[in-house]
Amino acid sequence: MNPQEQAVLADITDLLTKLLEDEYGLDDVEIDMATTFNRDLELESIDLVTLAGLLEEKYGRQVNFAEFLAGMEFDEIIELTVGRLVEYVVQSLKAAG
Amino acid sequence: MAIVDTGQLRLHVQRMGPRDGSAPTATVVLVHGLLTDSLASYYFTIAPPFAAAGLDVIMYDLRGHGRSGRPESGYTLDDNIDDLEALLDRLEVTGPVHLVGNSYGGTIAFGYAARHPERAASVSLIESEPASATWAPKLGGILQRVLHQLAHNEDDALAWITVHRGHNTARLAKGAARLARETSLPQDIPASRVLTEDQIAAVRCPVLGVYGGDSDLALLAPWLEKVLPDCRTVVVPGHEHSVLVEAAGVVGGHILELIEKAQVAAR
Repeated sequence: MNPQEQAVLADITDLLTKLLEDEYGLDDVEIDMATTFNRDLELESIDLVTLAGLLEEKYGRQVNFAEFLAGMEFDEIIELTVGRLVEYVVQSLKAAG
Repeated sequence: MAIVDTGQLRLHVQRMGPRDGSAPTATVVLVHGLLTDSLASYYFTIAPPFAAAGLDVIMYDLRGHGRSGRPESGYTLDDNIDDLEALLDRLEVTGPVHLVGNSYGGTIAFGYAARHPERAASVSLIESEPASATWAPKLGGILQRVLHQLAHNEDDALAWITVHRGHNTARLAKGAARLARETSLPQDIPASRVLTEDQIAAVRCPVLGVYGGDSDLALLAPWLEKVLPDCRTVVVPGHEHSVLVEAAGVVGGHILELIEKAQVAAR
């Protein structure tokens, strides 16, 4: 993992930790690149809407989680990992310069 | 997260518009279905391409669902239509809107168009139907069956769902069982006031019906085209009730086409 990916993973871990604590009162969830949103974190699709808002607040409109997921098949969304989101955020930030 | 207080309850609302900041060409309101559904079914499917096509896209969680408030009572169809009306008033959306509803959300959208014909530019029903005299007992029967199974042996029912439909659906079913237990929804929906065939036929705006080819609801398509003055239906082969999330590109494409035609006709 390069330094930029590490930094984005740290940001996303913070956002998810906050979301899990606010919505489910959880404060001891381990998150890494292989963590899946559905099976590991047990996030519902409405939680992903909240995450989309948190990502936009953090990175601005160039990170569009809704568009990213809208381009995927349903099964791909179910299998989505934190690592895939990290890669997408890094690419979006690069594209925006 | 955007919360709109209608005065009756707090509704979770999300809005997407053209990303280049240009003025939207029209407003579309997306209404989701019952129990296991939320605005997320639109947020990650047809909402982004609709916004990219120049539309102002409004979606919200129905009362009791998603991140909206969960009052103990007030779950009839008219209550849901009242919420939609109050929401659009609060958002100061006064002109005609294009309404899209999935499953029960389509019944709400159609009910809104029947109540306010002047405010409906078009209605798209995805796996859905107007609140006819046969609709209420049919939906009531489905609700009773599901709730009976969950109430009598929730653990077994959820284990079965996990095996046959997957972990994700089982988690959604658990949330749905909680909503049904904590509110008067299972009693209120079948007791809803329904529309007469004349009231249904009085919805004169363009109506699109989209159905999964393997869904029982596809049998409604010919009836809908016969009753409504301006109605077209599309059956998407190989899908059941979840056609919106499973074939979002196809479903969204048909709806956009209807909206664009209706916009041209209204000019």
